[in-house]
Amino acid sequence: MIIPDTVEGSILLSVIDFILSFFIIWGIGLVLYAFPLLNKLGSVDEDKLKGGH
Amino acid sequence: MFEEIGSLLMDMLNQTGVVHLWYGNVVMMAVGAIMIYLAIVKKYEPLLLVGIGFACIVSNAPGAGLADPGGLFWYAYQGVALVILPPLIFLGVGAMTDFGPMISNPSLVILGAAAHLGIFVALIGAKMLGFTLGEAGAIGIIGGADGPMAIFVTMKLAPHLLPQISVAAYSYMALMPLIQPPIMKAFTTKKERQIIMKQVRPVSRLEKIVFPMVIAVVVDLLLPGVAPLITMLMLGNLFRECGVVDRLATTAANDLMNIIVITLTVAIGSTMNADTFLTVKTLEIIVLGLIAFGFGTFSGIIGGRVLCWASGGKVNPLVGSAGIASVPIAARVAHVVALKENPYNFLIMHAMGPNLAGVFGTAISGGIMLALIGVK
Repeated sequence: MIIPDTVEGSILLSVIDFILSFFIIWGIGLVLYAFPLLNKLGSVDEDKLKGGH
Repeated sequence: MFEEIGSLLMDMLNQTGVVHLWYGNVVMMAVGAIMIYLAIVKKYEPLLLVGIGFACIVSNAPGAGLADPGGLFWYAYQGVALVILPPLIFLGVGAMTDFGPMISNPSLVILGAAAHLGIFVALIGAKMLGFTLGEAGAIGIIGGADGPMAIFVTMKLAPHLLPQISVAAYSYMALMPLIQPPIMKAFTTKKERQIIMKQVRPVSRLEKIVFPMVIAVVVDLLLPGVAPLITMLMLGNLFRECGVVDRLATTAANDLMNIIVITLTVAIGSTMNADTFLTVKTLEIIVLGLIAFGFGTFSGIIGGRVLCWASGGKVNPLVGSAGIASVPIAARVAHVVALKENPYNFLIMHAMGPNLAGVFGTAISGGIMLALIGVK
């Protein structure tokens, strides 16, 4: 076990987990901000998708 | 002659469960009956509570052996024990979910992390009550309001607590329309609750197709501990969005999902035997779960208020409470509370963004917890 199995360990785990969660979710948010740029690559024709098989 | 018949009848009686029935079994049968009552009469999560409640009742009939090794429900439980069913549930959830609201409004994604303070409050509280760190982590995940994730993390950290944690998680998810509104109203002003958010941009098909691949790679690389869940969630979503495998998407979202729900619910219900369930620990877990839910809603609202302030009053703080997972119940609760303040305030699509981010928030929290506690 990396974190000690004590109350202090649980506080440490909580603080690290909360901060890291924020950073990772924030990172996902940043990636999503770039998503509209994908539309410059072109578009997917939905009719072709449906009729393709 | 009569003595022999009497002896045979006594032998037969001893083989029935009636003579082995004790009050614990009766109490658990009553618990199962209450679940079925809540499901049928109150309509609280009927898809889950009917199966769990029924399996709880019959598994507490001594001698039936349904949950014993080799018994019918024991095989169902292997799907949980081997952590196969939660990822398959996520496959179905992915196939049913439109992530458009999350993609279109990235600024609200952070609420998926903000609303998870409850996980950590419950974790610390559980540790202070004497649970091991693994058990405390599993209890804390109840606050994530995500059933399959709670089961997944519990099976990794504290499998012996599965019945208590899964029942607490699903019960509170069902009770969210009762638990959340008072907290939402207590920590927001009437003016804030009336904020009408502007329409979000439409999301293209290309974005929706790329999204599951990008998220699966990012989360799997960063948090391999929860890779089975996120991978299947995103695979299900790719089935839905790519448009060329409608049959697979339909199967994952309907037939397969129904089969998995049946198997999962009887598996969970069958673990609710009197010996393990009727303990003080169960009561502590139920209370800690409620605290986790309450704090999660509170921290989400506070996050929503921060965004409201930062955006110059453009964000309705109620969407913060939807940052705990439980799609779409939490978003619906935010929507209903907003509607009561202003009948023209349709918040559902705005609340879906943080709600979907909450699924990732819970997965990320769980993944970090598994990594830090050292579980493979």
